[in-house]
Amino acid sequence: MEFAELIKTPRVDGVVLHRPFMPTVEGTLCLTGHHLILSSRQDNTEELWLLHSNIDFIEKRFVGSVGSIIVKCKDLRVIQLDIPGMEECLNIASSIEALSTLDSVSLMYPFFYRPMFEVIEDGWNSYLPQDAFKELESMTDEWRLSKVNKDFTVCPSYPPLVAVPKNIDDDTLKKVAAFRHGGRFPVLSYYHKKNGMVMMRAGQPLTGTNGRRCKEDEKLINATLRPGKRGYIIDTRTINVAQQAKARGGGFESEGNYPQWRRIHKAIDRYNVLQESLIKLVEACNDQSHSMDRWLSKLEASSWQTHIKEILTTACLAAQCIDREGASVLVHGTEGTDSTLQVSSLAQIILDPGCRTIKGFQGLVEREWLQAGHPFQQRCAQSAYSNSKPRQEAPAFLLFLDCVWQVLRQFPCSFEFNESFLVLLFEHAYASQFGTFLGSCAADRSV
Amino acid sequence: MEFSDHIKTANVEDVVLRQPLHPPSRGTLCITGHHLLFSEREEGSSQQVLLLLRNIDAIEKRMSGSSGTITIKCKDLRVLQLDIPGMEQCLNISRSIETLSCLDNVSEMYPFFYRPTDLSLQDQWGLSTPEIHYTQMKELHERWRLSSVNKSYSVCPSYPPAVIVPNCIDDETLKKVAKFRQGGRFPVLCYYHRKNGMVIMRSSQPLTGANRKRCKEDELLLQAVIEDSDKGFIIDTRSSQQVQQARMTGGGFESKSFYNCWKRLHRQMERGKVLQESLIKLVEACSDESHNVDRWLSKLENSKWLSHVQTALSTAGLLAECVERDGHSALVHGYEGTDCSLLICTLAQLIMDPFCRTLEGFLALLEREWVQAGHPFQQRCAHSAYSHARFQQESPVFLLLLDCVWQLWRQFPLALGFSEALLLRLANEVYASDYGTFLCNNDQERCALGVKDRTHCLFQALLRPAERDYYSNPLYEPTELAIWPSVHPQSLQLWRGFFLRWTQLTHHLEAVQEEIRSMVIEWARVAQR
Repeated sequence: MEFAELIKTPRVDGVVLHRPFMPTVEGTLCLTGHHLILSSRQDNTEELWLLHSNIDFIEKRFVGSVGSIIVKCKDLRVIQLDIPGMEECLNIASSIEALSTLDSVSLMYPFFYRPMFEVIEDGWNSYLPQDAFKELESMTDEWRLSKVNKDFTVCPSYPPLVAVPKNIDDDTLKKVAAFRHGGRFPVLSYYHKKNGMVMMRAGQPLTGTNGRRCKEDEKLINATLRPGKRGYIIDTRTINVAQQAKARGGGFESEGNYPQWRRIHKAIDRYNVLQESLIKLVEACNDQSHSMDRWLSKLEASSWQTHIKEILTTACLAAQCIDREGASVLVHGTEGTDSTLQVSSLAQIILDPGCRTIKGFQGLVEREWLQAGHPFQQRCAQSAYSNSKPRQEAPAFLLFLDCVWQVLRQFPCSFEFNESFLVLLFEHAYASQFGTFLGSCAADRSV
Repeated sequence: MEFSDHIKTANVEDVVLRQPLHPPSRGTLCITGHHLLFSEREEGSSQQVLLLLRNIDAIEKRMSGSSGTITIKCKDLRVLQLDIPGMEQCLNISRSIETLSCLDNVSEMYPFFYRPTDLSLQDQWGLSTPEIHYTQMKELHERWRLSSVNKSYSVCPSYPPAVIVPNCIDDETLKKVAKFRQGGRFPVLCYYHRKNGMVIMRSSQPLTGANRKRCKEDELLLQAVIEDSDKGFIIDTRSSQQVQQARMTGGGFESKSFYNCWKRLHRQMERGKVLQESLIKLVEACSDESHNVDRWLSKLENSKWLSHVQTALSTAGLLAECVERDGHSALVHGYEGTDCSLLICTLAQLIMDPFCRTLEGFLALLEREWVQAGHPFQQRCAHSAYSHARFQQESPVFLLLLDCVWQLWRQFPLALGFSEALLLRLANEVYASDYGTFLCNNDQERCALGVKDRTHCLFQALLRPAERDYYSNPLYEPTELAIWPSVHPQSLQLWRGFFLRWTQLTHHLEAVQEEIRSMVIEWARVAQR
C-alpha cells in the first residue's frame, strides 16, 4: 500500500501534545495512512485522532534536541507536538506533509472508514431528487422531473434528475444547456407554497459579444411566469462585471430578449477574495496582542462581515421578490456554483420553515450544495492556515453557514438545530470520515 | 408651585408621536412639572407614553408652515418626534421642556413627588448601612473596627458616616490621614476575602505634592492593613507618567521609601471627559444609518468604548488576582477615588465573591460601593450622549460598570443571579428616576435634603416580589468559585441590549429572552414535581 512508503517513522514515544482546552499530555505518537494518533497511558485523557486531510499547514521549530511540530488544521485548531530527537521530528514532519497533500480522492479516508455506530438510516438515499419531487408534485402540476442529464453529458455538474417546467422537453433543455455556462441550464431550486412562485438558478447565459440569443432559454424561464406578471433575475455580479463577461463568451439576459424579466445586480464576492478574507479573519482572531483597536481594525480589514452582509442582503432580496412581490426569481452569477447557491439556499432558510428543521436543513444542503454541484473538492482543499498557493479554494460554504448562524442568532427560537450543528458541517466539509463532501458534484460521487 | 410658571401651554390636541418600534400615532400631549404625557386618541387603542422630563438629554425644533416638529433625544437613547400643530403651541411646549428637563435644584426633582400607592415613605430606605454590614461580617471583628469619626461628614464630606478601618488605628490618626488624602478620602476597607483573610482597601491619591510630603499616620494605617502579611499591592489607576505629573498639582503616590512593603502597579484607566466623549462617539456610531460594515467597525473602533471595557475588566482581574491568587491585600486609588477606584473594586468583588453575584448581594454591593461610597451621581449623570449642553463633570462611569457586568453575564450565563433586564433598568434609573437612590453626590447631601425620608428607595422596590422575578436569572446556579472573565478583545462584545435598544432586532431578542425565561421557569417547575 502506498501509504507505508510515505511514512518514514510510524511511531515515536515520549511525545508531548499541546492542544486547546485540554491539559498537556505525554504519550506515543503514531502515524497511519489516514491519521495522526497520540495516545497516552493515562486513564482519563482522550486520545488524539487527527485526519491528515484536516491538516492545512505544519511548522517546525527546534529548541535543543527537541523538535516541535505545530499543526494548523483546517478546522482552525492549532496543536503542538514536542518530539524528542531531531531525526524523528523531521521524519514525522515530512511524512505528515506527504500524507496530508494526497490528491487522489479514492485514497481518502471515507473509502476506508467503518463506522462504530449503528447506521439507522441510509443517508445516501435520504434526500433523492425523486423524493423531493414527489412533494412538489403534490402541490403543483406545472413541473416535471427530467432525466436528460442521467449520464451527466448535458451538464457535468448537475445531478442526474432535475425539475424543469412541464412544457419544456428534453431537446429544448439540451439547447438551453449549450447556452449556459458549464451547461447549467435554469432548474427549479425552490417552490413557494404560499403563492406558487418559484426560485430557479443557473449559470450565466453565454451571450458573448455578438449578443447571441437562445429562444429555448427564454421559453424555459418565461414558462415560470404568470400571465401579465414580471419575474426578477438576480445577478450576483456588478453590472460592469456582467458586461465584461461578454468579452469572454459570457453575459447577461438583455431587456430586449427577456422583456418580462427585471434584472437586479447585487454583487457578491467570490473565489480568492473570499479566501483572503478568511485568512485575514482567522489571523485577527488569533491575534494575541490584547489590543481592542488592533482587533477591530483587523476585523474590519478582513471584510468578512461585509461579505456576510452582501450575501444576506441578496438572499433577503430574493426572498422578498418571491414572498412579498409574488414574483418568480432566477439567480445566477458566472458559473452558478458559488454565490448563486449561497443566495438560493439562504433564501429558502428565510422563506421555508421546513428548512429550519434538522432534516430539512440537511436536505437543503444536499440539494442546493451537494447535488447542485458546488465544487467542494476544490473549494475546501485548503483553509485559512495553508501556505500553498491557493488555486480554487474559497470558503463559500463556510460563509453560507455563517449567514445561517446570523439568522439563527436573530431568531433563536426558529431553528430546530443549534450552532454546534453548523460547526459540525463546517468541519466535515473540510475533512471527514464520511464521504458526503467528497468530490465536486453528483457525477464525481457516483464513480 | 413654580413649575406652572414654566408651562405656558399644558395641553395640545392632535399631536403626532413617532417613537421607535411603533407606528406613528395621534393623540393629546400634556406637559406637567415633571412629565411629558402622550395619550393616543386612535380608534380602539388607549396607549399612553409617560416620559420623565429628566430623561430628556436634548431637544431640537423644526418649524414648517404653521406646525412644528420637536425631536426629543433621551438619556436612555430613545429618540422621539412630536408634530405639534400651531407654531405658538410648539414653541411653548419646547420652551417648557427645555426648562423643566434641566432643573438644577435637587429637591424639585420628581423623586420628592413620587407617591405610588403601594409604597410607604416609612418603609426601610436602603438595603443596609455600614453599621449593619460590619455587624454581619463577624470575621472582621478581630482585626477591624467600625469608626464613626466621619459621623458629621466633617472629616470626609463624600464618605458615609461610618467606615471600617484597622482596629489599632484610632480616630485621631484617621483625621490626620484624611488631611493627607484628596477630598479627605482616607483608605477604608471595602472587601474582606473570606478564603484567605486578605482585604481590598480604597482611597484617593496621597497629597505628597512636589516636595514629597509624608504622613506617618497614613503609613501606619497601611502598615496595619498588611500586618500578618509580607507585602501588599497598590493598584494605581493612573500611568507612571500621570502620577509624576500629579505631584506638580499637589497630588502624588505612595513612594517605595516610605511604603516599602507595598508594591505599586500602574494601570492607566480613562475617566471624566474621555469617557463621556467615548460614549458620545459610540452612540453616534450606533445611530449610523449608512448600512456599511466598514464604517460601523471604524466608528466602533474610534469610539474606544470597548477598549475602556477591556481595561476595566482587565484591571479588576488584576486586583482579584492579587487578592485571590497571590493572597495579598490591595489598596486601590486613582486621583479622587470616586470613579475608577469604585469601578474596579466592584468588579473584583463580583469576580471573587459569590454573594455579590446574587440579586440581593449585587444591589447591596452597588449600594455600598457607589451610593454610600460617594460616587458623584448627580454630576456624572447630569447629561448623557445626546446632550448639547456644555459638559462639566459628566462621565458614564456607572454605565461602564454595567457594561462590564454584562460582559461577565455573557461569559458566565449561569453564575449571576440577576438578569440583563436589571442592568438595563439600572442604566435608565441612574440618569432619570422616580426614586431617590441616585440623587445627590454623597451621603451628606442626601441627609441634608432628607432624601431617605422624602423619597422612595429603588433597591427596595426592585426586590419586591412582583419585580424581583423579572430581574432574576432563571439559569442561575450558585457557585463558590471565582469567575475570571476573558479580556481578549475577541471575547468582548458591544452591549447591544443597551446601545441598540431601540432597534427591531434587540426588541425581538428581548421578546425571545422572555420566552426562554418562561420556558426555563416552567421546566424547573415540572422537574420539581
